[in-house]
Amino acid sequence: MSGKSWRLSRRAFLRGSGVSLALPFLECMRAETGAEMLPKRFAAVYFPYGVVAREPGTPAAQWNWTPAGAGRDFHFGKSHRVFEPLRSDLTVLGGLSHPQCRKMGGHDTADTWLTGSEMKEGHLNNTVSVDQIMAMRLGSRTRYPSLVVSTDGGVGEPTRASTLSFNRDGAPVPAENKPRLVFDRLFGVNADSLAARRRQLRNSGSMLDLILEHSHALRGRLGKIDQAKLDEYLDSVRRIEQRVERSEQWLDVPKPSVDASGLSLEADDSTPAELIRTMYDLIYLAFQTDSTRVATYQLGNMNGATSIAGKFPQLLGLADNMHSLAHGARRGDAGAEPLGRWHMFLNEQLAYFLNRLKSTPEGGGSLLDRTIVFYGTSNSQTHVNENYALMLAGGRGLGMKHGRFLQFDAGVPLANLFVTLLDKMDAPARSFADSAGELTALTA
Amino acid sequence: MRFSHAAIGLLLPAGSVWGAADFENAVASVLERRCVSCHGPEIRNADVRLDNLSPDLLHDRRAAETWRDVLNALNKGQMPPRGAPQLTGGERAAVVDWLTAAIRAAGEQRRGTGGKTAMRRLNRVEYRNTMRDLLGLDLDYTKNLPPDELSRGGFKNNGSALRMSALQLEYYLEAARRGLRSAIVEGPPPRIVSHRATETAADKVREHWSNRLGRTGTFVVRSDAFPDRGEFLIRVRARAELPGEHSPYPRMRVSLGYRADTQTPSRQVALVDVASETAEEFVFRGRIEEFPRQSRTQSKYPGLLIWIRNAYSDGRPPPEPEEIVSASNGKQKKRYVWREDPRFPKIVVESVDFHAPLYARWPPEHHRRLLPQTPGSAAAEPAAAEAALRPFMRRAFRRPVDGADVAQALAFFANVRPAAESFEQAMRETLAMVLISPDFLYRVETAKSRGQSLNDHELASRLSYFLWGTTPDDRLSRLADAGKLADKKILAAEAERLLDDPRSWSFIEQFSDAWLDLEGVNRIAVNPNYYPDFDPAIKADMRRETQHFFAEALRGNLSALNLLRSDFSLMNQPLAAHYGVRGPRGGAFERVSLAASGRPGGLLSQASVLLSNSTGEDSHPVERGVWIRRALLDDPPAPPPPAVPNLGGEEAGALLPLRRQLERHSDNAACAHCHRSIDPWGIALEEYDAVGLKRERILRRNGEQEAWHTVDAAATLPDGSAVNGLDALLDYLLRNKSRDFARALTAKLLTYALGRSLESGDDETVEALTRNFIAGDYRLRSLITMIATSDSFRGGQG
Repeated sequence: MSGKSWRLSRRAFLRGSGVSLALPFLECMRAETGAEMLPKRFAAVYFPYGVVAREPGTPAAQWNWTPAGAGRDFHFGKSHRVFEPLRSDLTVLGGLSHPQCRKMGGHDTADTWLTGSEMKEGHLNNTVSVDQIMAMRLGSRTRYPSLVVSTDGGVGEPTRASTLSFNRDGAPVPAENKPRLVFDRLFGVNADSLAARRRQLRNSGSMLDLILEHSHALRGRLGKIDQAKLDEYLDSVRRIEQRVERSEQWLDVPKPSVDASGLSLEADDSTPAELIRTMYDLIYLAFQTDSTRVATYQLGNMNGATSIAGKFPQLLGLADNMHSLAHGARRGDAGAEPLGRWHMFLNEQLAYFLNRLKSTPEGGGSLLDRTIVFYGTSNSQTHVNENYALMLAGGRGLGMKHGRFLQFDAGVPLANLFVTLLDKMDAPARSFADSAGELTALTA
Repeated sequence: MRFSHAAIGLLLPAGSVWGAADFENAVASVLERRCVSCHGPEIRNADVRLDNLSPDLLHDRRAAETWRDVLNALNKGQMPPRGAPQLTGGERAAVVDWLTAAIRAAGEQRRGTGGKTAMRRLNRVEYRNTMRDLLGLDLDYTKNLPPDELSRGGFKNNGSALRMSALQLEYYLEAARRGLRSAIVEGPPPRIVSHRATETAADKVREHWSNRLGRTGTFVVRSDAFPDRGEFLIRVRARAELPGEHSPYPRMRVSLGYRADTQTPSRQVALVDVASETAEEFVFRGRIEEFPRQSRTQSKYPGLLIWIRNAYSDGRPPPEPEEIVSASNGKQKKRYVWREDPRFPKIVVESVDFHAPLYARWPPEHHRRLLPQTPGSAAAEPAAAEAALRPFMRRAFRRPVDGADVAQALAFFANVRPAAESFEQAMRETLAMVLISPDFLYRVETAKSRGQSLNDHELASRLSYFLWGTTPDDRLSRLADAGKLADKKILAAEAERLLDDPRSWSFIEQFSDAWLDLEGVNRIAVNPNYYPDFDPAIKADMRRETQHFFAEALRGNLSALNLLRSDFSLMNQPLAAHYGVRGPRGGAFERVSLAASGRPGGLLSQASVLLSNSTGEDSHPVERGVWIRRALLDDPPAPPPPAVPNLGGEEAGALLPLRRQLERHSDNAACAHCHRSIDPWGIALEEYDAVGLKRERILRRNGEQEAWHTVDAAATLPDGSAVNGLDALLDYLLRNKSRDFARALTAKLLTYALGRSLESGDDETVEALTRNFIAGDYRLRSLITMIATSDSFRGGQG
């Protein structure tokens, strides 16, 4: 790895400076690799159950998620006022959805938000998510290919996934949900000596080889259903082998040193504001220290029956859980307000994240200029799998044009946007899921 | 009639009320009458033709898609279009019921495994228990593992649902290495650190550090010396000060550690009642590496810290200290005083001793069990490695190991030994490899792939994971080695033995959580505007109540009908205080008679169930109704359709109890059809509020407005029976539904035991078990023994 020496010196410099957090990416340290190598980053953040979408002109419509007006001449509703100062850094998207997913249950589509493929009753298979394609292409440049977090953690169950990310076989990538664990993974210091860690990694490599070898015999003794289970295991072994290899490449590079004192690493589902902010902080730190360039964050899934995120609005003093707020938003003049206020809260958290990125300089611009943030849900009103509520922020340095509300035809697949994003992220693809071209309006 | 298809019967489970005849009789004629004129051979609006659409949803996937569209269009009210003749209530019901059942059945059948359990990964609880038993150390092996995947029925031990990923495997390897690092020691016996304190440490911070622990106060011990690894012992000598004869006991919480640089708070070691007013000794043990420790150069709070607090709560907040300012030498000094409440039970700490690491012999027992030989020379190492590996792999793989198994591990040992610093280090790595092998992480059952019954070892594993959530113990393994488990009598006796063992708590916990959805309490946030005194900490006690209640019925081999209605429950002091029942004085759960309480006992009166199925403000009759049908009757209603129509209410509704708001369901034909068979079950529980307390009035708030309503628990159940309130509902259930309840419990237990969802092929088994369960007076233990000795449990077809 030719890039290793400068990384080492940069980390060494960061540690020496003692103020690693405040330091931006230092361009001069990457002179040999050229300015075009400044990182490009992508984050996708999802919230469940849809938004307020009431008849314009009615009193309830002041809480509409989607702005009034069109193009550059648009007006944020009450829940979006916090974005006013960020107006030139974001675009609101209307009309898009995954046409293939419209037949799925009204609460089934969180799984497919980033994948775009229909999961049918019965086999319920999914396909790769757009972030993981980016991770495959960009991941070799950072310690971690991607950072996958959610409130519920793990993978959940099909159509009620508690992760946004799916690997190239369509298998869910488990999400981390404990801030402490994410922090330790990203920045935790291993007390073992370098030699001991290297030895352990080597051992891991030969361990996994032996297991793969030995499993052939076991496979032969299993029935078909069990073989499928074993194959999933073996696939995990192969993937972890790749991880071992990359860990070895990164072994000499100390993890960035980050001071935990400003973080609420013990935050959990009883304190939603702290938890969500801390997760955003961790994504920010992961980007800022170039520990990864791809992150997904599922704020809640649509499993009203099991999600621990459902109660968040109530913990903030709103009248009902997420699911009921979304249903209530369709009712009466006053029904929209609680959901609108919930989204106002979520928007404040997002704005906090965007502002942190924006106030961190990088290469003549800010981190936000080279970070595309995709935000939204897979419903319009609750249960309706069309006209998703969506927003894009950041990435002006990557060619994104902002400051608009763009309304698309209902027939335009959201996957078109993904094709455009993949292109911007140096992971070009001719198509994605049911895409039919690109979404050129975003860059024009 | 243009509809004619032969294969319809295939797609519906036996016992389903809907079959081919229904399609012909009820559904086809409605479609013919209402739909085919626009979606038929002549006119094919939207390219949908219904007259020749196959009703075989299982095999004709394209047809299945179209049927799904039909159901959606009906539920959304899009079809028939406005202006066209609409479906009558009966017609709508016929079509919607058939479609809902057929779609569900086809899905279940496609997902089904043909009655075979998919190879099960150990879930979190099983993994932790198994590691504990294998390594002989109770560490938190699962702290990094992601949550387990739930099956559709809510079970966390379903082989098809449980998955594996690279991240997960990475954490397994990490946990194995962490555990083995503690379990296998090296070097000479470490020096034992001892520290004694009779007074709390003093500090300048504005905290109440004291030997007397009331509503405030912490006894803090600081030991400058401490080892980084090993078992520790904390011995606390303390007494209680009780303000009255019936006073609750103070509860002593002992925690250990703290780390400033990573802001890691201390971790609890123990929580115990202090019941005696004469001093007693309390001894606690743990592993020091499980607790956050300061880096030794840290200056803010150097050393290892032990914290002791009084965890008893009477619901009142701790008082603010009084600030006392005094002047001396012209300087003002501030002092803080915390006033004692004479009515609050207190703990007086007299002394605390700390010893670590603790060992009777060196190396310790857990080490000797893993490495029986310590080789004196390099030449002796391979033999010592083999002597360790053979028994370890036998236990880890839960089956006899063959030469190839051991040879593989020995080859690995030989491979890593040269680079390792010691024999022990190489052995740790070798055992770690065993612990990420599929034979360990999965419960491999190979006999069934050949259509045979499980072999003895597979059966021993099934039994011990069923009733203990862990690996077979020596006795069970020996019986398997001797081929004795094929004998049903011996198998039954073993099931009894396992149930009698305290390890069966793992089964009680996991099964009752899954069956009754007890984790639901954590999903609901209780609104303090409605329940200002509610302490969220009691949610854990609510869940425990139901678990202990189930345990009591099981261990006492009581009739399972006690679960529906009983004259007792199990409570601890905080929970009894919550219910307003005279109960125990401490934190331990005890049997409490409900005779004088005015509450009928049983699951439906327990706060865990009532809170989980509430909004956190009010009862939620729909959720409660769904819960009854799912948990008690095993008859879950179909999930809500993709597009639920707008109820179209007014905001004035916010001031109405939820029960009243729901009445709109019955005004709307599309809703009423399903909700008629859901809501009444929950309405009968209206006497109980969100936190499970009995109520006479219901408070509703909307902004500044407030409204009180009287409770109305009168409901008409689907069969037309009228019930009013929980008591009447229980009468009804015991009189008319005890068989359904028995079947539901049987089916849930069998699902748990087999680790897979039941399919139509299991109906006969469930029926037979249910019959015998009822014939045996609904004895729970007997049911479990019957399941353990059933063909499904023992056979390949399970």
